[in-house]
Amino acid sequence: MEWVRNFLRYRAANTFLVFIGLVIFFSLLTPNYLFVDRRNLAALGKLFPDLGVVALGVGVLMICGEFDLSVSSVLPFCSYVFVRLLYRGIAPFWAFWVALGVGALLGLLNGLITVKTKMPSFITTLGTMMFWRGVLYIWSKMMPAGIRNLVPSGSPFERAFAGTVGSFFPVQALWFALFALILGILLHYHRFGNWIYATGDNRDAARAMGINTDLVKTICFMIVGVLCGFSACMQAVRIGSFAATQGIGFELRAIAACVVGGTSLRGGVGSMPGIVLGALTIPILDNGLILLRVPVFGISAFIGIATILFVVLNSYVERKTR
Amino acid sequence: MERQNGELLVRMVNIHKWFGRVYALRGVDFEVYRGETVGLIGDNGAGKSTLIKILSGYHQADQGEIYFEGQRVRISSPRDARKLGIETVYQEQALAPNLSIARNIFMGREPVRRWGIIDRKVMNEESMKALANLGLRLRSPDLPVVTLSGGERQGVAIARALHFKAKLVILDEPTVALSVKEVEEVLEFVRQLQREGISVIFITHNLYHAYDIAERFVVMARGKKMADVKKKDTSPEELSQLVIKSAFAE
Repeated sequence: MEWVRNFLRYRAANTFLVFIGLVIFFSLLTPNYLFVDRRNLAALGKLFPDLGVVALGVGVLMICGEFDLSVSSVLPFCSYVFVRLLYRGIAPFWAFWVALGVGALLGLLNGLITVKTKMPSFITTLGTMMFWRGVLYIWSKMMPAGIRNLVPSGSPFERAFAGTVGSFFPVQALWFALFALILGILLHYHRFGNWIYATGDNRDAARAMGINTDLVKTICFMIVGVLCGFSACMQAVRIGSFAATQGIGFELRAIAACVVGGTSLRGGVGSMPGIVLGALTIPILDNGLILLRVPVFGISAFIGIATILFVVLNSYVERKTR
Repeated sequence: MERQNGELLVRMVNIHKWFGRVYALRGVDFEVYRGETVGLIGDNGAGKSTLIKILSGYHQADQGEIYFEGQRVRISSPRDARKLGIETVYQEQALAPNLSIARNIFMGREPVRRWGIIDRKVMNEESMKALANLGLRLRSPDLPVVTLSGGERQGVAIARALHFKAKLVILDEPTVALSVKEVEEVLEFVRQLQREGISVIFITHNLYHAYDIAERFVVMARGKKMADVKKKDTSPEELSQLVIKSAFAE
């Protein structure tokens, strides 16, 4: 039983168990086993990375001890930048890079405001969230802006962000996996990852050991910004349009995903496997409940219960294993 | 021997520090010789920590000079201090509790292979070696620090200083909140530093913890140095009288 105990000591283990439980539950109980239907899985694989990619960055940021509530504004903002550039006749490839750049810039701003004012990022990014949303609403007049004819279905760019691999596997899920892999290596194998953990776990110690914690935090904010830019373009290409409502609610859902994956709200604790599982669990919960005919507007209630249960479970397991 | 005892390692001259309207250090001179252990004692608020934080780069003096190995130096960050070979072991500030022992020892100075990827094998082996040098046997370098006892934690922080060949180790209240057995453990770590010829500043307000291991005592009160005595010229009773008297003196 030694390996069982070792496995359970791993913080992401209970998320993994609950995840498997949910998959089995939904597989067996949805009408006509709809959950494991090929089309449902394909749709899930297309949709979940929108939030998932953002959540990966938010998780890394939480490990270094900060939050970013502005993702729900940075994302549509980047999307609008992308669409406007397309309208000006810029090739999608370049517009995409500019959108990532804008994401990085807004992330940099979040980081600078947070480390320079020494305010909790919960407040600073609440401010930037409202600010950028206001700017975006004025700039875009909240009108949707279609890009179907600028990024036609079947074009290389469209296939790279909204296509399928081997006629079935949604490419979005591959992007998610790629980012998870890169950030996982960064977090667990690269020296910068150790600085992220140290910064979140004990900032004074990290500083005393010569780590520039302000820089570490700012870079993490920028990672989140870039991922918002990426997700923005991916989503815009999939729905063939900019929508002012893109990304709404992502700020808290991303945090919920990370918490479900065992990331601490106080920083210093969390892992990439956990964050990935969290980013999968929330959409699966969504999807499964919809298939179970739970009214769409009530699903939020279940996500809320699930988040709280996970936090309680995580801290219980933590106390047991220590 | 590369290190020679008796030669001046650090000299702080006429250090002044204000925090807003609080005059925290009022022209303090302080020196440490190579291989020497200095007990820095005084009541809370005497200025011990402020003085040491200036030496370790946490604060900057408003006035005064610092010489290290005879050279005038400017220590404007903890990183500068570490480059000189000054390692500080703070009470609760030295370690990241959820990180592993090895990751703590190498925090900020991780051994890396190509592209900044941490060399775990080297990191783990070197960590265990550094701990063994202190006589500390821990099960695995992967254990999070939070699972260790208070004494063991101090050991991890001191092992870090030892591994990186510090010339001066500053221990800021290393025995606070430790059991009697753990205090003895920490004092044993300090003796190991002494055997390696490393200079130590031992800050404490428990005179008896410092008395065993220090060779010289500096007593501070209200931002000033009140006394600077060799152990052979004093006794614990006299020292505690000094601390009490200088705290109440006008």
